[in-house]
Amino acid sequence: MATNVDFQGKTFVVDEDGFLEDFNTYTAEWVDYCKKEEGIETLSDEHWQVINVLQDYYKKNGIAPMVRVLSKLTGFKLKHIYELFPSGPGKGACKMAGLPKPTGCV
Amino acid sequence: MAFISSGFNPDKPLENRITDIGPRDFNEFYPPVIARNKGKWLYHEIIEPGVLVHVSETGEEVYTVRVGAARLMSGTLIREICDIADKHCDGHLRFTTRNNIEFMVDSKDKVAPLKADLASRKFPGGSFKFPIGGTGCGVTNIVHTQGWLHCHTPASDASGTVKATMDVLFKDFQDMRLPAQLRVSMACCLNMCGAVHCSDIAILGYHRKPPKMDHEYLDKLCEIPLAIAACPTAAIKPKKITLDSGAIVNSIDVNQDRCMYCGNCYTMCPSLPLADTEGDGIVLMAGGKVSNRISAPKFSKVVVAFIENDMPRWPKMTQTISRMVEAYASGARKYERFGDWAERIGWERFFEKCEIEFTHHLIDDFRDHAYHTWRQTTQFKF
Repeated sequence: MATNVDFQGKTFVVDEDGFLEDFNTYTAEWVDYCKKEEGIETLSDEHWQVINVLQDYYKKNGIAPMVRVLSKLTGFKLKHIYELFPSGPGKGACKMAGLPKPTGCV
Repeated sequence: MAFISSGFNPDKPLENRITDIGPRDFNEFYPPVIARNKGKWLYHEIIEPGVLVHVSETGEEVYTVRVGAARLMSGTLIREICDIADKHCDGHLRFTTRNNIEFMVDSKDKVAPLKADLASRKFPGGSFKFPIGGTGCGVTNIVHTQGWLHCHTPASDASGTVKATMDVLFKDFQDMRLPAQLRVSMACCLNMCGAVHCSDIAILGYHRKPPKMDHEYLDKLCEIPLAIAACPTAAIKPKKITLDSGAIVNSIDVNQDRCMYCGNCYTMCPSLPLADTEGDGIVLMAGGKVSNRISAPKFSKVVVAFIENDMPRWPKMTQTISRMVEAYASGARKYERFGDWAERIGWERFFEKCEIEFTHHLIDDFRDHAYHTWRQTTQFKF
């Protein structure tokens, strides 16, 4: 079920879990919009570092990185990633980075 | 209904958050007689189908009454189970690994009233709420999955097929006439959640058509390399597709001749649905076990390649299962599990005894290992 979200003059099409339907519609406003429902008060450089790594990896490889790869590329342990994104790397960080919703037996 | 807060503050989700506390310690819920005699049990007996007694070195006894359960149950039914436990068992009960319910009492004279109470309870439709049984050499509960109730990848239903099968095998739930225990399991797709790959008889949901490709959304919703890597037969490759609108998008191509309809790609990619009313159905497998008793654990083998979904009672499936159970009951020796029996008499005899047609679908053709399932010997019965 796709729904439209209007935020700061931009319109995003999202699914029922709040993931962007198309990675190409990502803009920086999207991160601001997601912030609240992901339980993040202010975005630090570390947040942006995770988001940028996810986006670069997705553009290059067509998949989201494995958690170990994300840890290695950012230098953040999983515990720290959870401190940054309380919902975790999948539901939190990937969603804010505009990546497709994680699939499989999750 | 109006919103009623539990005290959680959505503006500060991490405030007062309790995590990583794990499950409650099982010691908190022991009946006193179990707690007192833990690790001191001497022997046990099956007094009658569904009723066990364990005797401790201290001389104490605990009587267990096992009853069937539909696994999927309402809060109302759980409250009724709690009422029975309050009335007869000082508020204690347990669930088994096959989702039966066990009520435990500490003296023999408490067994008869408990049994009478359990046996008297029925649903308005007439089925037993708490049928007593499931012990010894009989058929106990069917380990099963979500089916059409909750899952998005099933090829058949779980609760429906299980109810139909248990109705047919009900007398064996309340009896112990078989050569050994017979485990039946059900999984609604080849993900095989549960125990189908290692059960005496297994019911498995199966597709017969390749996935449909939603090219417009595929690249947006899916991580294409994951869908490609999800295929066990490498039937999927990446492809550029021109949509009706003229736009060129990244998508995939499914080689229909290589696809065996496992549905793994749909698990990874929502744009590859494959469920189909006529195509989907049931595969029956047989001969698996997990215990190490006499023979080593075995995988179950496919014995019926396809039975159509025939809701709501799946008559052809239940008839085939009951033929298999009857052939096993009359043919196997004492202590022989279903797979032990089939291997002793030879699978060619198994198909004859169970009146199951052998089709080419049953011959393994997956990779190198398939060769080892063919017969490299002249030992064969006509």
